[in-house]
Amino acid sequence: MDKKASFIPRGLYPLRTKRIFTISAVVVIGFYLLSSIITESFIIDFFIKIPNIFGLIGDFFPPDWGYVEQIWPKLFETIHMAIIATTLAVLISIPFSLLAARNVMTNSIIYQFMRFILNIIRTIPDIILAVVFVGLFGIGAFSGIIALIIFAVGILVKLMSEIIEAIDMNPTEAIRSTGGNALQTISYAIVPQILPQFISFSLYVFEINIRASVVLGLVGAGGVGQLINKEINFMNYPAVSTIVIIIFVVVVIIDFISAKLREGLL
Amino acid sequence: MIEFQNVSLVYPNGTQGLKDINIKINQGEFVVIVGLSGAGKSTFIRSINRLVTPTDGALLVDSNDILRLKGKELRKLRTKIGMIFQNYNLVRRSTVMKNVISGRLGYTGTWKSIFNIFSKEEQLLAYENLKRVNIEEKLYNRADELSGGQQQRVSIARVLTQQPKLILADEPVASLDPPTSHQVMQYLKQINQEDHITTIVNLHFIDMAIEYADRIIGMRAGEIVFDGPASEVTEKTFEEIYGRSIREEDKRGGGEIDG
Repeated sequence: MDKKASFIPRGLYPLRTKRIFTISAVVVIGFYLLSSIITESFIIDFFIKIPNIFGLIGDFFPPDWGYVEQIWPKLFETIHMAIIATTLAVLISIPFSLLAARNVMTNSIIYQFMRFILNIIRTIPDIILAVVFVGLFGIGAFSGIIALIIFAVGILVKLMSEIIEAIDMNPTEAIRSTGGNALQTISYAIVPQILPQFISFSLYVFEINIRASVVLGLVGAGGVGQLINKEINFMNYPAVSTIVIIIFVVVVIIDFISAKLREGLL
Repeated sequence: MIEFQNVSLVYPNGTQGLKDINIKINQGEFVVIVGLSGAGKSTFIRSINRLVTPTDGALLVDSNDILRLKGKELRKLRTKIGMIFQNYNLVRRSTVMKNVISGRLGYTGTWKSIFNIFSKEEQLLAYENLKRVNIEEKLYNRADELSGGQQQRVSIARVLTQQPKLILADEPVASLDPPTSHQVMQYLKQINQEDHITTIVNLHFIDMAIEYADRIIGMRAGEIVFDGPASEVTEKTFEEIYGRSIREEDKRGGGEIDG
């Protein structure tokens, strides 16, 4: 009973912890306010301008179904771009994946160089690649394909070189001991171990390429994105919403097929 | 004939794998190398097909110093030396047939082998060798569907398909149970006797060494500490090689079952 009088706990946390929490909260909120003031963007605007949003959405409806006929050629161009880019990227990435795998490429200078190049490629967003190639080769699907190839090689080599680094190296020793050369060792001891993942990643990159090629069209790199860009500029919003719906359906179907195929592989 | 002349090997991390080895192994011998793990058995055996390269001395295979070989010549040497591993080292996702035919890679052009083009004779040879180790019914099974003993038999068939003059086996039975171990050793012994292929086997089971070897070489700390016919070897000899008394784990047992 005596103790009660001498010490009363003042909450669930020590005073020091509470003080740190308070200071952190003040600092973080201060940053929010500062950021908002400097960029002149306030969350409240979202609510003030809600009528505009409904207005714009209203412009998009109803979709112009008569426009569908014009979408197909460009949509197929997008799919063709993705197929060509993925196929070439897969072929290109095979040797580079091997060179970027530490257990295959024992020369550390080449290995480090490959890693360095790969990191550079992967820091460039696909849309920037597209802008650059549209500048170089002009507006159209070709620029888009080149951009997609570089983008896809960056992803594939990264994923594949990590798979290669995780394989069982014992069979490679066995193949070397039979007198097999480097290429034979790769094709007999390494390829069978990585083939299922390689095909799976290739399909995955194909899915990514379909979506990416839609976006690339916005900067003039061919395909259905270019069509969206054109109709937005003409403020033909019902046509835009038709395009978006069609793209959505097609992408979902392709992703579904690809996912099923990949499930079957692994 | 294989001859080690003052062969030493120091690994890049400073470990001494082999210390001034001098020994001759004659054509057709069945040699078992015994020693504790880390004694240099693996390094010894892998020097012969240059999976590791000794840093000093000369290693003669049929009077050629193989330590100087590079590239194509080295691969040519390896085609004549078959190797069997503790973990079988099959490509698990490939078929038994593809694993066995890979014994022909040293004889086959790169492009032909990449497209799996092998002659009728070579395919027949692979099949006959599978028959020899009684596993021909698994021809088109994937290697990972087989038990350990079956996988080791497939790896023997792969080695035979190389048509080697010499077979090296690095702890071939360490991952197997006693009956299967004896079965694998019997196949190796039988091949040695029928085909007169020189066979060098690393083992750490003393009872198996005595049972199968013509000649036993004992190693400790990278040096050869015993060399003599198996008939002269007793447990006492092993105690000297191992530098300690013999324990139950040094024996495989199950010899009387006879596979």
